[in-house]
Amino acid sequence: MGLVVVSHSRPLARSAIALAEEMLHGSSVRIELAAGLDDTTLGTDAVAIMEAIRRAEGPDGVVVLMDLGSAVLSAELALDLLEDPDVRDRVTLSAAPLVEGLVVAAVAAAGGAGRAEVASEARDALLGKSAQLASPDDDGLSGSAGPGGEEVGVLTVRNPHGLHARPAARLVREVRALDASVLLRNLTTDGPSVPGDSLSRVATLAAAQGHEVEVRASGRQAREAVDRLLDLAKRRFGEPAEQVPGPAAPTPPTIPRGP
Amino acid sequence: MTTAALGQWVRRFADLVAQHRDELTDLDSAIGDADHGSNMDRGMQAAVAALDENPPATSKALLSKVGMTLVSKVGGASGPLFGTLFLRVGGSLGEVAASTPQELAAALRAGLGGVVDRGKAGPGDKTMYDALAPAVDALDAALSDGADLSVALQNASQAAAAGRDATTPMQARKGRASYLGERSVGHQDPGATTVALLLEAAAGSSLGASGSGRRDT
Repeated sequence: MGLVVVSHSRPLARSAIALAEEMLHGSSVRIELAAGLDDTTLGTDAVAIMEAIRRAEGPDGVVVLMDLGSAVLSAELALDLLEDPDVRDRVTLSAAPLVEGLVVAAVAAAGGAGRAEVASEARDALLGKSAQLASPDDDGLSGSAGPGGEEVGVLTVRNPHGLHARPAARLVREVRALDASVLLRNLTTDGPSVPGDSLSRVATLAAAQGHEVEVRASGRQAREAVDRLLDLAKRRFGEPAEQVPGPAAPTPPTIPRGP
Repeated sequence: MTTAALGQWVRRFADLVAQHRDELTDLDSAIGDADHGSNMDRGMQAAVAALDENPPATSKALLSKVGMTLVSKVGGASGPLFGTLFLRVGGSLGEVAASTPQELAAALRAGLGGVVDRGKAGPGDKTMYDALAPAVDALDAALSDGADLSVALQNASQAAAAGRDATTPMQARKGRASYLGERSVGHQDPGATTVALLLEAAAGSSLGASGSGRRDT
């Protein structure tokens, strides 16, 4: 799974990639850039984008993140310029905002997500910021109150940096593997319910260490879903207790550097 | 209409863009990001240099080289838009050394289709479309009436100029100018202005010189 960053500005693209890579802690995601006409001239170049797609391309395909205007036109043209239709079919141009989309896409790709899922996560990348800035009256994300027969449990986030991108990605993988529909809600902050199968939505929980998160599951494996998530939380979603590397989305400001 | 005449058209267009570079940038500073003239000039100078370096033998090769150079060197939205225009025109003409006026008209219509595919613009959006579409229509109409290519290109050039002028009272609905909303009204569109230069270059080139005949059909 490869990513391509298209921007008018090469320094901007480099910095955005650095920001995203900080979330990866050494996992390998191929991120190529096609940005600027050179180090200082703003502009986009469809040929350079095409070449970046070819460099990033693999069996799982490529998701392209763009800034605005000609970046989008040039990326579309780059698809036209790809002679191999099989390659073209494995490329998704993402409508996500560049920085937010890239960070979420990189984390999702590092977690083993396929192209469709990476693209979908990237598209929802603004949700975390929207939820953070929404007025308390807005309840756009709330779903809650499922039908009867659902299973409910409460997990406590033990990770020192909260439910940041990597543990959140682990949680989402777990939910997706089960035949159950899972809603999560941060009880500590009294936030809205979000679907547990979306990394972008789970990021909006802003669940810090010590926060309690309600798990409501329905479907054939509802009970199993609750049990597995509570167990996963006890194991800090696979992260070590000490020396937790990397930045945590919900808990700035003292962010240790990753290895 | 020969490949050599196409090359002359491209060079003449590059000259006109260079002459109007500051005017194009001024137009773009009113409703855009003030780089259209310098971007197009950089692209067309590079395109001419590429033709000089290795003169292509066929119409498709020549216009593809121009298109690909614009795609890489212009930087702004004009790069993929004008690049697609030249690529589609060249693709339509094919690997030939000469074409009929009707083939040229069909190629320009294919180019217009490429611009629409890329930019998703339609009539009245205050874009290059508003100069290019009337020019292509005028070219077709004149050739259908039996005009020779030089006359038909004059008509197309006039139609492009009229289309360019008609963009002034329009409100932009595409590109960065659309962010301005009503404030874009009263300004001539830079892209349409450049298209008028492209058709002016065609009318003034040798494209029409050999063009009264219908090659061999």
